[in-house]
Amino acid sequence: MNTKIATKSDLDRVRGEARKARTAKPVEITVCSGTGCLAAKSGGLAAEFDRVVALHDLQHRVEVRRTGCFGFCERGPVVVIHPHNVCYLQVKEADVEEIIARTIVEGETVTRLLYVDDKGRSIRALEDIPFYAKQSRVLLDANTKIDPTSLDDYIAQGGYGALARVLTSMKPEEVVDLVKKSGLRGRGGGGFPTGRKWESTRNAAEKEKYVVVNADEGDPGAYMDRSLLEGNPHSILEGLIIGGYAIGAHQGYIYVRQEYPLAVTNAQLAIDSAREAGLLGKNILGTGFDFDVKVHRGAGAFVSGESTALMRAIEGFVGAPRPKYVHTSEFGLWNKPTTLNNVETWANVPLLVNLGLDQYRAVGTQGSKGTKIFSLVGKVCNTGLVEVPMGMTLREIVYDIGGGIPKGKQLKAVQTGGPSGGFLPASKLDLPVDFDALTEAGSMMGSGGLIVMDEDTCIVDTTRYYVNFLAHESCGQCVPCREGLRQLSKILDNIVAGHGKAGDIEMMEDLCELLEGASLCALGQTAPNPVRSALAHFRAEFDAHILEHRCPSLVCKSLHHYAIDKDRCPGCMLCVSACPTEAISGVRKKPVVLDQAKCIKCGNCMDVCPPKVNAVLKLPGSPKPATQQPVVTT
Amino acid sequence: MVSFVQNLGSSADVVVIDDEASIREGCRQALESEGYRALLADNGIDGLEMVKQVRPRVVLLDLRMPGISGVEVLDRLPGIDPRIIPIVITGYGSVDTAVNSMRRGAFDFISKPFDVDALLNTVGRAMKRYEETVEPQPLAPKAPARPATEPDAILKGLEAVGEFYQAGTQGSLSETLCALESEATYHARKLGRIHEKKKAVGELIEDVHLVDRVVERHDFRKNALIQIMLDLQSEKRWLPRHMLMWLSRRLNIPVARIYEVAHFYEAFSLEPQGAHTVQVCLGTACHVRRGPQLADSISSVLGVKPGGTDDKLQFTLKQVHCLGCCALAPVIKVDETYYGNPSLDDLKAIFASCEKKEQER
Amino acid sequence: MNTVRLTIDGKSVEVDKGASVLDAARKAKVDIPTLCHHPKLEPFGACRMCLVEIEKHGRKRTVASCAFPAEDGLVVTSSTPKIERMRKLIVELLWPAYTTPAKGMKIEKSRFTGALPDCSLCGLCVRYCRDVVKKNALYFQGRGVDRCVAFVPGMAHECDSCRACFDLCSSGWVVSRYAAQASADYDERPCFPGMTEC
Repeated sequence: MNTKIATKSDLDRVRGEARKARTAKPVEITVCSGTGCLAAKSGGLAAEFDRVVALHDLQHRVEVRRTGCFGFCERGPVVVIHPHNVCYLQVKEADVEEIIARTIVEGETVTRLLYVDDKGRSIRALEDIPFYAKQSRVLLDANTKIDPTSLDDYIAQGGYGALARVLTSMKPEEVVDLVKKSGLRGRGGGGFPTGRKWESTRNAAEKEKYVVVNADEGDPGAYMDRSLLEGNPHSILEGLIIGGYAIGAHQGYIYVRQEYPLAVTNAQLAIDSAREAGLLGKNILGTGFDFDVKVHRGAGAFVSGESTALMRAIEGFVGAPRPKYVHTSEFGLWNKPTTLNNVETWANVPLLVNLGLDQYRAVGTQGSKGTKIFSLVGKVCNTGLVEVPMGMTLREIVYDIGGGIPKGKQLKAVQTGGPSGGFLPASKLDLPVDFDALTEAGSMMGSGGLIVMDEDTCIVDTTRYYVNFLAHESCGQCVPCREGLRQLSKILDNIVAGHGKAGDIEMMEDLCELLEGASLCALGQTAPNPVRSALAHFRAEFDAHILEHRCPSLVCKSLHHYAIDKDRCPGCMLCVSACPTEAISGVRKKPVVLDQAKCIKCGNCMDVCPPKVNAVLKLPGSPKPATQQPVVTT
Repeated sequence: MVSFVQNLGSSADVVVIDDEASIREGCRQALESEGYRALLADNGIDGLEMVKQVRPRVVLLDLRMPGISGVEVLDRLPGIDPRIIPIVITGYGSVDTAVNSMRRGAFDFISKPFDVDALLNTVGRAMKRYEETVEPQPLAPKAPARPATEPDAILKGLEAVGEFYQAGTQGSLSETLCALESEATYHARKLGRIHEKKKAVGELIEDVHLVDRVVERHDFRKNALIQIMLDLQSEKRWLPRHMLMWLSRRLNIPVARIYEVAHFYEAFSLEPQGAHTVQVCLGTACHVRRGPQLADSISSVLGVKPGGTDDKLQFTLKQVHCLGCCALAPVIKVDETYYGNPSLDDLKAIFASCEKKEQER
Repeated sequence: MNTVRLTIDGKSVEVDKGASVLDAARKAKVDIPTLCHHPKLEPFGACRMCLVEIEKHGRKRTVASCAFPAEDGLVVTSSTPKIERMRKLIVELLWPAYTTPAKGMKIEKSRFTGALPDCSLCGLCVRYCRDVVKKNALYFQGRGVDRCVAFVPGMAHECDSCRACFDLCSSGWVVSRYAAQASADYDERPCFPGMTEC
């Protein structure tokens, strides 16, 4: 698209044309092309659709559209066909011929690719699938409809309409006021009131100002921002330009972690096409407002997601936090007033302008307005990205949307806030998703990672995982964080190895006091959260590890072992080839022998042993030192 | 794309590589009027492919093109056929760029907008030069006691000394070159090829050129340091010491700062990498779905510790925090392909196919 | 007005605008321990020994006094039981690299091991070389628990005439490493010498 959009009426005209173009072909096949589905080979899938459509000479009637992430990652690749409004799941290249022949040509449904609910009913429409039915996908909906590399698609959906309204009919102070009144709070984890942040930056004396998008998304298990930036980059750009206008900044930066190559590419494409159309650069929409954006790639450090560290990285230095007690709204990038907000926060801005104050505030709780996107992952049936109104309970998210725990297991805990957050036990499932409620309960909203854990998860092991993560991701500048985490790590390593001793918990609590009270930045200050919440809610597991040298969930390597039940093993030898260290040996029709010295406890043998045979056992404690396997009778 | 190149006839006299259609056409008409056979390409990659197939005598080459730049094409031409005479087309009145390109092997330059006579005159001289080029000598069967081109090398050295002092340096060129030689030794040792110092010097020069190209792409901006290093890491797959030191020189940034950045971030590798990178995701979702056990399995199968590379430089194993494909957990990435919850058989098949690729190379 | 007036441990003191709470404490002769502070260097905030409790608008906070700007009306308490606990823990965590305040705190040994024995990572050497001497011969290598100080290859032998960091290093790393590094440099002289003027 090379047309220049120099005025609001140009935008209106282009929107009309784009809408017409989108409906030019009667049939549309949308194929999810977010990183998750691409990893599940949806790239080849879309190409196969292209090929078969061309083969049947249907290209004039059928549009194959590669879109952003649909969010139902557990069942990807996801394909939705319009106007049939049928949603196919886990589609493979081999299914394409059939879909074209039966659905496109004959108008029939390929039932085996439909979602089946727990009552055995097949569901055709995406919005009726339980995973989607309870969500409020105001931000993510566009992901299923637009090609992220197409500016036209974004405009057809109403994109840049909010920007046009703001630039032509609102004063900058009015925009700041709107954001303040909306109650929008930062979606990156802190939950700081966005309007207040914008106002402080706007009021700073220095004329040169900056706005920054934090797309570092360092919390492991969280990928909401990636999907937004990959799937709908223009929505973030629009929010950023509006923010620049409101604050008085003319230069924006998008800091994206380099581990998200597709997000980097799509963000840059969006910037280039917006600039070409005149929506970035000088005199946007003829209003005299100049604004431009650069992409800066991160180089792989969790701590660089902290706002002062991120700004240092953009300046070309090591991305470590600054010790000075300054507000970045006054002394930020190059010591100039800067507003840094998370991707999802920026995406909320055009939404707010389009909905208006009343409609926006109608969703959410008293203290937390709007929706929140979560990455629902871990031991949950429907892993994926979900967008829910603030105030929905964790129970509804995990069970109604997430479909509960697979394999009939019991939920043990839900973890939010990443390494700065905490464990919430099953008893807290009725907590609403709300900034203050979650913080009060000992966790925090965080950026949106929602990890579900079941009875087979060891909380002590998971706590150690978080502490180890932080110990290596800490910038290492200040003593409480670096040395505090070093010692916490050691203590937890000892506990999971069965060398815990009395006094360990008290020492961890002392170290936590130091971390919280003395650390230079929020990484260290919030590092105690996983430890404290684990101790508060799962003390019994810690006591078992420390006092009894026992891991109740049979996860900690030194505290359990595998054994072969000789009475049940028929000698089929399936496990022999599944063992990466060749620890299992034997002859056909005789029970196999497990060499404990070679066993790395990967569990492959247990996975491949047929359920009816069930001859591999996981037992607490160390194996008996005898060279022969103990004879176990069941 | 390049499909037409495969159907080319045996030869052409001139290949024109320029992204502007009007320039390409203008050149073609002028050249054909003089009886030359000309072929056209609109980008560097296709142009190089064409040159490989057709072996022209002269290449007309635009310096500023998107994608692979004219300078890069210029650097690669001698590798295809050292007799090809390159002529660069420059716009924007930059004499510096033109002179620089001549130092890099261009025979002459013409500035846009050019007139037909000037173009034909330059091409004519280039054709004459081509005819005068001596056929390259085959290697003598025994290594000669004194290389045949020693006087040429000395002459080059003298010219370099002259340039060095013209640049206003206070130091001694021979000291610097001595240090450079020992840097090549260090590099050769690092790669386990101590007897291949000649190769190491060649790599050193290539790497230094790479740094220059990337730095130029970012307009020599100091605050683009991390972006520049990411580009270098992406092209070379690791950052040898001499590249970091050269980068310090080019950007005028203390080496200490560059080292600090190189050591701080996960993206940068300071050791040579294996031909294939295996990344095991250790994000929380993968951890909870037995990612560590999968990591142990892979470590066992490859015989490599996390963060390490095997002795044959085939595989580098990395543990990373979150590839963001949590529905496939536990996830691994081998080069650019993702695999969710691979079984032991899956892993063995994947690694075997990687090894096969190396054997075929 | 170019000055501000604040109260530290009950003593009223006036300092220039832009001075830190630590500067004000020194002026008021209130003793606050520091490790990574140096009058010629920007505050680094690494050791956290200089923590104090401040009260502003009725709100109490614990902050690093070397980095917190002195403000009009600030009420500062240089030590509280919690701050003492934290200072003690810091000394223990850095043991034996930082033992200077140990006697005053009645610490004779540490419950912990694993920290670098001869380097507290106070960064005085790196920062002084970078910002005062401007030779950039040292840098922080790595991140988190893997962090340490290192000489830039090829620079150590240039330090012969300077050695300003030797006096700054209370734990001994720089002195003990310098000789080894200078010798390693000689064996493996890296390319492009004369980088100091960058």
